Amino acid sequence: MSRSKALIRYFITRLALAPVMLWIIASLVFLLLRIAPGDPVDAILGTRATELARESLRAKLGLDEPLHQQYIQFIQNLMHGDLGTALVNQEPVSNIIQKALPASIELGVTAFLIAITLGMAIGFIGTSKADGKTDLIGRLFGIGTYAIPPFWGAMLIQLLFAVVLGWFPIGGRFPANLTPPNGTGFYLFDSFWNRSFIDFQGTLKHLFLPAMTLGILLSGIFSRALRLNLTRTLESDYIEAARSRGISETQIIVKHAFPNALLPVLTIAGITVASLIGGALLIEVTFSWPGIAMRLQEAIAQRDYPVVQGIVVVIAALAVMISILVDLIIATIDPRISY
Amino acid sequence: MGDTLYKVDRNGELTTSLASKLPELTNNGLTVTISLRDDIFFHDGTKFDGEAMAFTIQRFMNIGTLNYILSGRIKSIDVPEKYKIRLNLSRPSSSINGLLTSINLTPVSPKSYANHKNKFLNDNFIGTGPYKLDNFSPQQKQLKRFNLYWSTPAQNNGISFISLSNSSALFGALINGEIDVLLSNSIQEDQRKYLNTMSKKGEIVEGRGSALEIGYLTFRTNAPPFNKPIIRKAILHSLDRNLISKRVSYGLRKPLRSLVPPDINILAKSSWPKYNPYITKKLLTKAGFCNGEQLNIPLTFRSNVPADKLLALTWQAQVQRDFSECLKLSLNGVESTTIYRQLSKGAYQAVMLDWRGSYPDPEAYLSPLLSCERINRNVCEQGEAVISGSFWTDPLMENALKRSEELHGRKRLEALNKVEKIASNGGAYLPIWLLSPRAWAQKYISKPEFDSNGHLLLSRLKNINK
Repeated sequence: MSRSKALIRYFITRLALAPVMLWIIASLVFLLLRIAPGDPVDAILGTRATELARESLRAKLGLDEPLHQQYIQFIQNLMHGDLGTALVNQEPVSNIIQKALPASIELGVTAFLIAITLGMAIGFIGTSKADGKTDLIGRLFGIGTYAIPPFWGAMLIQLLFAVVLGWFPIGGRFPANLTPPNGTGFYLFDSFWNRSFIDFQGTLKHLFLPAMTLGILLSGIFSRALRLNLTRTLESDYIEAARSRGISETQIIVKHAFPNALLPVLTIAGITVASLIGGALLIEVTFSWPGIAMRLQEAIAQRDYPVVQGIVVVIAALAVMISILVDLIIATIDPRISY
Repeated sequence: MGDTLYKVDRNGELTTSLASKLPELTNNGLTVTISLRDDIFFHDGTKFDGEAMAFTIQRFMNIGTLNYILSGRIKSIDVPEKYKIRLNLSRPSSSINGLLTSINLTPVSPKSYANHKNKFLNDNFIGTGPYKLDNFSPQQKQLKRFNLYWSTPAQNNGISFISLSNSSALFGALINGEIDVLLSNSIQEDQRKYLNTMSKKGEIVEGRGSALEIGYLTFRTNAPPFNKPIIRKAILHSLDRNLISKRVSYGLRKPLRSLVPPDINILAKSSWPKYNPYITKKLLTKAGFCNGEQLNIPLTFRSNVPADKLLALTWQAQVQRDFSECLKLSLNGVESTTIYRQLSKGAYQAVMLDWRGSYPDPEAYLSPLLSCERINRNVCEQGEAVISGSFWTDPLMENALKRSEELHGRKRLEALNKVEKIASNGGAYLPIWLLSPRAWAQKYISKPEFDSNGHLLLSRLKNINK
């Protein structure tokens, strides 16, 4: 079988397995939520409601149905793309996700770009000046980003740049006295598209601290991965051969070693992007960023089953899609990979 | 954005708001007639009338998440005249007056809510208040002054709300001047103290409303060790409220020895006993402890409420200091939703909670904690006392509570005081402190004011430099 045919077959197999993976995740979330003590009725009515009021609300929300019926209903709706409505305010879950997801993607993508740029730069400089002072600082930086708890780092940055210096807003996504731009929900894009400089500037100022914090915290992964792989590649035979041919060290690193050292970094990048969508919870909470992770946290506290299920399924779907895409890219560009 | 039918003034008297007269009770207290003002407009330009009010109450009874407040009280609603409504009650209820001040009954426009008669309208609100909603998102809301407002217009052009998700961000936003006014009940105690100190120095302005939120402990009385009245009595004397208030809240949460906040009961008495380590030791010794035997009480607190955790830790240390031979507290932090779920199942022997009545009336504090539908001696088998997790009742108290529903004025308050007295003797609850709503503003903003329901009066906020 030719390589391109094998690649297509591999891609189709991965795509076909994706729904199975989503079904497993959706089922696990469904069950785990029901196992957790407390239900939406308690979260909505608090402690004081009468048993009659509780029963009536439970029936209204469909929580009085047997568990297997609730599950069948949930899976059937999911197959039709219906994520249900929030128990707390009856808002369609798809609307909630539609409002919150762009905020998370905007933050995640910006943070990712910062992380990869910063991480690669540090990794690259560190390798080119291996074991020197710059390399040492770079390595310490990498270890520091792992060691610092994200919420602590975020709070320090918030305290310094928002409270003490007052350079950036302390939280939120958009200036409170302005009306958020209409459009896609990606405020940077929308304000740019609407040619509103004030909106664009306001969005950028609000985005800066959370994105920078998340970006810095993630950059260590990239700097360490790149440094490790680049150092290993530079020790390989073909690099020695290149050196013996009199090619300059810069050319060796940029043209020969760097592309090969980049492949594992690409895998890490894929995993990072997938985890960023739902995993930036601490940053979202610290900076009051109205993204999907914060919405998920609220929904868990309220035991709003459909919202939790919907958000988890959407995050899982995105993670699966990104993972397939990254695998596909790697498989395409790396001839050593067999599938 | 909305108005209530009535308000309670500083003297605890009912005053009219959207209603033009005080409620008229007829038919042995089973019919309440409310006359409405005829000069009120909704934000959509339509007129407020009896039909609109009836629509609102009916809608709240159908879909309101707190509709149990009305259940069993309002049988039906009539609109005998254009600007009059009649509530037909299922039983006489003197607390209906308090209920009519509830923000839950804020009228909404039948025209704008025609398609949301039995479902929520999540991103809009069409009421009669001094502001109309201009823009809504979960984190940001913008209000604009409503020019057709029937009463004193707002003293500012509008309000921009922003929700920040943690105490440090809220605190920091006021300190760095990013926001003009901070309103939060969940701000951490040390930050609250810092803001209080700043206001005393004149660096910011602090406004405080009536203390309407109570913090209390519930003891499960249908199982050991709190099934013994002597143990309950001993514990009632063991809590040093002054110390707790000082250590946990720097004195900003006032010690409380009643279930009803003193601000809403002019005849209020502190029925619960004061801290007395001598009596605690004496009673515990009598109950068989102290002589080499230590009573271990598992105390549950809400892990997501910082003040509860501090209180639990402080009380544990105080018990260790004062009663180490007799008493020990074992702490157990549980997320609040889980506690609410398991409370009526008797999962907690001693649990720390708070409560704020739906309207400023003693009944809104006593009934939800004490009333019982099925009594077996001193054990409540069904009713609010079960939901509260105490399972405690007293036939005398239950009668007094029911009788108070038919009384008015001073006699009613006296009857409710009697209820509190019996409850304090029962010892199923231990009031700890009172929390006042507070708001802080930059010094160029007028002092934040609160209404009798503890809501910040946004329309009174203004830039005093302008």
